[in-house]
Amino acid sequence: MALLRAARPAARTAEPGARARRELAHVLGQRKLFQKALPGVMHAFIFWGFLVLFPTIIEAMLAIVDDGRSLPLIGQAPWFLFLVDAFATLVAVGIAIAFYIRKVQRPDRFRGSHMEEADKILLAILAIVTTLLLWNATKIALGQVAHPGAEPVANALSALFGTGQPTETLERVFVWAHVLIVLGFLAYLPKSKHLHIITAAPNVYFAKNGPSGRLEPERIDLEAADEDLRFGVATAKDLSKKQLLDLFSCTECGRCQEVCPAWNTGKPLSPKLLIMDIRDAAAAIDPTGEVELQPLVPNAVTDQVVWDCVTCGACMRECPVDIEHVDTIMDLRRNLVMAESRFPTEAGTMLRGVEGPNENPWGQPASTRTDWIGDIPVRVLAPGDPAPEYLFWVGCAGAFDDRAKKTTQSVARLLNAAGVDWAVLGGRERCTGDPARRMGHEYLFQMLAEQNAATFADAGITKVVATCAHCFNTLANEYPDYGATLEVVHHTELLSHLLAERKLLTTPGASGTVTYHDACYLGRHNGRFDPPRDVLGSTGLTTTEMERARERSFCCGAGGARMWMEEDGEARINDTRFAEAAGTGADTLAVACPYCFVMLDDAAKAAGSEMRVADVATLLAESVATGNPTERP
Amino acid sequence: MGATWVYAQVTPDGVHPSALELLTKARALGGDVAAVALGPGATTAVNELGAHGAAIVYAGDDQAFADHPGRTAAHTLHVLIGQHAPSLILFPATYEGRDVAGCLQALTGSTLMANATDVDGPARARTEIFGGTKIVEVDLAGPEPRLVLVRPKSFPAEPSGGTAEVIAVDVVTPPGPTASVVERHAEAASGPKLEEANVVVAGGRGLGGPEPFAMLDDLAAAIGGAAVGASRAAVDAGWVPYAYQVGQTGKTVKPEVYIAAGISGALQHVVGMKGAKRIVAINKDADAPILKIADLGVVGDLFEIVPALTEEVRRRATS
Repeated sequence: MALLRAARPAARTAEPGARARRELAHVLGQRKLFQKALPGVMHAFIFWGFLVLFPTIIEAMLAIVDDGRSLPLIGQAPWFLFLVDAFATLVAVGIAIAFYIRKVQRPDRFRGSHMEEADKILLAILAIVTTLLLWNATKIALGQVAHPGAEPVANALSALFGTGQPTETLERVFVWAHVLIVLGFLAYLPKSKHLHIITAAPNVYFAKNGPSGRLEPERIDLEAADEDLRFGVATAKDLSKKQLLDLFSCTECGRCQEVCPAWNTGKPLSPKLLIMDIRDAAAAIDPTGEVELQPLVPNAVTDQVVWDCVTCGACMRECPVDIEHVDTIMDLRRNLVMAESRFPTEAGTMLRGVEGPNENPWGQPASTRTDWIGDIPVRVLAPGDPAPEYLFWVGCAGAFDDRAKKTTQSVARLLNAAGVDWAVLGGRERCTGDPARRMGHEYLFQMLAEQNAATFADAGITKVVATCAHCFNTLANEYPDYGATLEVVHHTELLSHLLAERKLLTTPGASGTVTYHDACYLGRHNGRFDPPRDVLGSTGLTTTEMERARERSFCCGAGGARMWMEEDGEARINDTRFAEAAGTGADTLAVACPYCFVMLDDAAKAAGSEMRVADVATLLAESVATGNPTERP
Repeated sequence: MGATWVYAQVTPDGVHPSALELLTKARALGGDVAAVALGPGATTAVNELGAHGAAIVYAGDDQAFADHPGRTAAHTLHVLIGQHAPSLILFPATYEGRDVAGCLQALTGSTLMANATDVDGPARARTEIFGGTKIVEVDLAGPEPRLVLVRPKSFPAEPSGGTAEVIAVDVVTPPGPTASVVERHAEAASGPKLEEANVVVAGGRGLGGPEPFAMLDDLAAAIGGAAVGASRAAVDAGWVPYAYQVGQTGKTVKPEVYIAAGISGALQHVVGMKGAKRIVAINKDADAPILKIADLGVVGDLFEIVPALTEEVRRRATS
């Protein structure tokens, strides 16, 4: 508690209604636990049992002080006795399932977790419900219960006991054992990972509202006093209250580790181990401040762990207690980049490019931003021009990368065919700052965001369509923090809307099978799962899904500025994902983000595969029924 | 103010250039200037160190400095500091410099500033942040000597024409376990460095495997002064080491001529070689993006064209 009080505040109290609803779903409803069926049932039995059995602890304590006393109203009520009997039994069943999972199934997600500690905790819970059932059984045997039929399990167990003195002694033994084990458990709790029974509920309440793709801004004002200038998180003392609560909410269940693209391709990063390692470092905080803390990187976690993250958010999506691994990693990066200037050297080219005169990650001449246009009729907004309904935010990849340019051209032709009032900023567009931000260079991002926001205001832009999932996320979720509140849609959303409005007509004559790869920053982080699928559905192509799809899609490997870093380890993330796509037997892999496009197309070439990788928009453009798609109907 | 010392990194092959840069700066700060050179080659380095402004060189040639790097030098320096009490010690921000400075700071408990780009004296140094767009002035406090790690090439090296007095230094063996150098391995580099070569011959996915790179080596050798590079695809496939990689996340090259064989010209590659004066591309795909930026594009089979080109270069060189 002293640690939490001293920590940096986190602004996590707005919208209490949304927080309360999440509390009901994630805690009472156990929704995220049920993402895995058997472990979900296991946990729900134990957790709901814990809620129902809470009054019985007081019952037992009363019974120790005054044999025969029980709680008013519910103590002798048959319905309550039945609930206690049923849930005590379900808890025992839950414990049995837990041991089955841990000792028989032995999933890999537990690698690195404290297994013995978990065994001790499970056995203690088993002992608590066993002594409770046996205590109730002896009371039935002694004839102290008015409605023994309400407690079928205890009633059955009562056959073990006689009515004489030995049973009276046993009744005392069981009730004392029950209370002592409960008290012992409570004493053990604060030092163990089982502390989550206290921390999980507030951690869920204070979790991030809204899209998980939004990072909280860290305002950098170089004119501010030194004490107020903060560059991410250096030591455990810099962690926010929510970040600290995260650490002490982790039960080491490893669901995050199981889905992590880095861990799954043989890299040292595991979100679970990251949280555990930082927790151990935070436990060393001396509230008096006399002991100097070591920087978290590389003492608690290595540099590589920090840079391995693709920020895909799979860990956060799986976490039953809403730990925010990615946000903590981003704070570590902010410190490494802005305070220490320490990052994988190969990413320096990108940072220089974004910062440099051309303001794009590849350092391409800004004057070539419109080279993709060719003979397509496109309105390029000059200063003072009337604002279009939609600004088409081309993005740096869409303007400079040959593969992404095809997507840009397809979207431009489709917007023309549908008669949309749209335009581009041309040379006035610059990087959104997203790659710099995901590298941890918050200051560079801030400068770009402010400049772009000024351009939007100047040009009177209110609606934006973007083809890049990263631009989309940043413009929609992060730019409001910098003064640009826009209606931002992804191109697949706009296209599916135009199809529904029948402004685009397709001839669904295309043949072949397509599988769609969900971009993390479109799907999991922003919930756009259906628009790209709807668009594909209109092309006539047969669609098939990969095993890891929608919320559980597996990253292409480019997120979190990994696009700009070299990858090593047992396997490459893009190769791993491409193999999964190829395994569906589809002949086309559809993407909806230029980063995914580059990563998966590279993987296809490396694999020597014939599978075609193409953007959803290009596949649609090929089946749109207009004579000349470059002309407005 | 006490003396300014420079940690001079030496090997039997000579003095690391950073030592001469730091001595030039130390001279400009005023006060006494000394160099500390530890390891084989220290004594032979004295003249050069003296010529760049060291009035005294504390030199120790003991092999132990090379065999047990870091702590051995730090403990020896610690004893020297106790005897002579310098105010400021400048270290180069090299692997060795950082290792020694870090260990030494643990012994002295004094201030250590890393990554400095300029030094005003024992009380103030500067560093750059945000990719060099902002300069931060740092006040150095606490007990002397202050330790500052300076980025190499922060100052030019200018000789002063002086001579140095040599004070021999005995090695101090650090207590406890010490890391030992087990093996030294120099990556064999044939030909000029990729970034410095006038001509770069680079191969990509079109080569199909590691063996055809021998073909590029032949061409580079025939041209003379040429280096061999590769696209990310070839490096990712494991055909050549990462040191060959040209591109966004590899090396940036600006040769007179860049010959791209079997490279499609993905943006991430083009970023690393677009500064070449002349680009020659050999590719079997007439639509490959590399052909759009090439000054000379050859559409055809590189397995025929490259050997023929090598042959022609050789013929012209001898005729």
